Amino acid sequence: MAFAFSRRSSLAVALLATTAFAVPAHAQTSIDVAIVGEADTFDPMISTKDVVSVVTQHFVETLYTFDENWNVAPLLATGLPTISDDGLTYTIGIRQGITFHDGSSMDSADVVASLNRWLEVATRGRGVADTVASVDATGDYEVTITMNEPYSPLLSLLAFSNSAAVVYPEEIIGETIDEVIGTGPYRIAEHVPDQYLQLVRFDGYVSRDEPSSGAAGARMQVADEIRFLPVPDPNTRVEGLLSGQFHFAESLPAESFARISDSDAAEPLLLRPFGWPIFAINHKAGLLTDLPLRQALQAALPIDDMLFAAFGDDNFFVVDGPMYPEGWSWRNDAGTELYNQNDQAAAGALLEAAGYDGTPLRILTSRQFDFHFKMAEVAKLALEAAGFTVQMDVVDWATLGQRRNDPALWDIYITHSPFLPEPALTSLYAASSRLGWSNPEKDAILASFTTETDTARRQELFADLQEQVFEDVGFIKIGGFNALSGIAAGVEGVAPTPWPFFWNASAE
Amino acid sequence: MTNYILRRLFGMVVVIFLVLTIAFIIVRLAPGDPAALMLGPVATVEDAQELRARLGLDRPIPVQYATFVLNAVQGDLGTSIFFNQPVTDVLVRRAEPTIFLSVFSLLIALIIATPIGIYAAYRRGSFLDQSAISLAMLAASIPSFWTGLMFQRYLATELGWFPASGYGGPDATFFERMGYLVLPSIVLGIVNSALILRFTRASMLDILGEDYIRTARSKGMSERRVVLRHALKNAAIPIITVVGLTFALLVSGAVVTERVFNIPGMGNLVVSAVLRRDYPVIQGTLIVVASLYVIINLLTDLLYLVVDKRVKY
Repeated sequence: MAFAFSRRSSLAVALLATTAFAVPAHAQTSIDVAIVGEADTFDPMISTKDVVSVVTQHFVETLYTFDENWNVAPLLATGLPTISDDGLTYTIGIRQGITFHDGSSMDSADVVASLNRWLEVATRGRGVADTVASVDATGDYEVTITMNEPYSPLLSLLAFSNSAAVVYPEEIIGETIDEVIGTGPYRIAEHVPDQYLQLVRFDGYVSRDEPSSGAAGARMQVADEIRFLPVPDPNTRVEGLLSGQFHFAESLPAESFARISDSDAAEPLLLRPFGWPIFAINHKAGLLTDLPLRQALQAALPIDDMLFAAFGDDNFFVVDGPMYPEGWSWRNDAGTELYNQNDQAAAGALLEAAGYDGTPLRILTSRQFDFHFKMAEVAKLALEAAGFTVQMDVVDWATLGQRRNDPALWDIYITHSPFLPEPALTSLYAASSRLGWSNPEKDAILASFTTETDTARRQELFADLQEQVFEDVGFIKIGGFNALSGIAAGVEGVAPTPWPFFWNASAE
Repeated sequence: MTNYILRRLFGMVVVIFLVLTIAFIIVRLAPGDPAALMLGPVATVEDAQELRARLGLDRPIPVQYATFVLNAVQGDLGTSIFFNQPVTDVLVRRAEPTIFLSVFSLLIALIIATPIGIYAAYRRGSFLDQSAISLAMLAASIPSFWTGLMFQRYLATELGWFPASGYGGPDATFFERMGYLVLPSIVLGIVNSALILRFTRASMLDILGEDYIRTARSKGMSERRVVLRHALKNAAIPIITVVGLTFALLVSGAVVTERVFNIPGMGNLVVSAVLRRDYPVIQGTLIVVASLYVIINLLTDLLYLVVDKRVKY
């Protein structure tokens, strides 16, 4: 009717009439997810970007994953591995009857080839490669990892979806993978870059039997399709959610919380806590190689004001010193008396005692993450009050990504991270990171921490490590912050997590 | 005439080559590492160096330039670093929404601007004339992103008359995809109508003051015929010029509107490509846009021949 009318009318009317047809004609069982940008690769081994993890975990799988309490749980493995008493041998059973999206069956040869590639090309795999002596097929459905030395975070690494140790068919393994083939509950149907990624249910999927818990247990394949739609503008994600165009929208601005709460179309999903903003410190070169200056920096920062400026609403941040939030087994109070001192006079005294000569303290940050920039602005005022000369280098994220690789170009760069299930997954502690934070005491604690297998002892060692973060000012945690997502009315089965997944999600 | 066209085509090649060179230099001068961006925040310096080598970004700049030029003259604009697809394929896919958005916007602008511009000139100094000038100033002054956000919020989200953003999912028909362009077309149409309205009015005012218009009226010709046949025809050249330039600007410059409405067009592409440091895509887009400007300029000049027989080349 509308079309017939439009043909007899002016073009303007015709254009308006087309809107009658413009409502997306979705199948009832599709879940449309607005994500922050394009996942530029579907090979999660080679990327540490969260958006890549979010998308790819639906079609490629790892041996292990995390349950809702961030415990490691089996996924493609039959169960948790058998670990030898000396912590050097991991024997892993592989599930039988698992089919790749190309129809081939998964066996230990695929797992061995995939893990070896992970050790060669993945950032997180390369980080552990020196401690791995070999990965061998010790049966058609059994793999044995032999270590040079005990490395307790290994299972967490194998379970993590970021720079992930996913399993591919042996036949497609190479330095690069042109067409990603996985075992996941959904397979790629169509990808139009920057427009959509259409995933459809993989009929050959064999789910685990255990009840769903986090990413572990049964993966229900409820929706026929999951569509990831890159929508870089946060306001556009909000409007799309409230207009009913998206079933889920991630990373929404804090200002939209009330509007989403008031809406009948959607409700806010607050991930509390999501992560922590970080002032990364250059230990390789420049001003902050000097401990008293790092201590002055730590003393001067007004954490409350920085967080309030950055997030505007205390629903979205928490002034909290420990490296892990309430409820996590890694949480402890060691060293936190040095957190949030907000004492510019004490900082000034430290500067004077250190003979600070006014050399500019270079803070490298970006407006791409607005809260980084706002924190830096407030920090600058406090640091100048303490006597620092501050130079703000505000660049785009691509430039920051390049400049921070050169220790000559910065003293602090600002970043953030979700809270990771295993502290050793946070690269900041390692002497080999771009921060280059190293002292004999810290390095010894970290070495013990990564080789210790007893959980209680590991928690004690982590407390020692945290104390080092404050005492040696390895880096500065600027509190915790929450992430806001939005979920359309009638959508069920989406758990709040930094890397949301939708295989259990249903929409009315 | 043929010589003129050949001369213009040669000039076009020179312009495009210059653009190609400048584009190459500018994107290489900008800091930022596509490899580090691709690998994500945890990647090490060594990871990024290896990827740069694989992408050929570690080769000397003159070698990269020579490869780029040699490939470009054969129609190969390289491979997108991020999409791992030929730039020409990426551009072709992005051209559709941008071209339709530009055409719709231009038509809306013309539908708004031309009759009002003509009538405002005909009734110079009247209330309608004053109103038209004020509205044109208003339309030109309000940033398109604000208009876009307001339209999106109230017409799409609150009233549900239009899709809020995007360009349709996997099952969208061509007609449905066009539906996604309605709201952004109206936004851009309103913004661009201002310039066309003012040009139309000014051009018509000039012509309506000419002796031959008075002569036509004194011979008893109807006002409708005087305005539409005599005056408008002669006022058309400046209007065609501004319409041509507006179209070129729309195709190359609908960046903000495409961003707000998340339309996967050329404007959106070039912003993303810059943020990602996807050098081949940035270069390819600039070359296409430069070519488009030159071609539209040529077509505009040739159109003068059609509307005004006195024009000779």
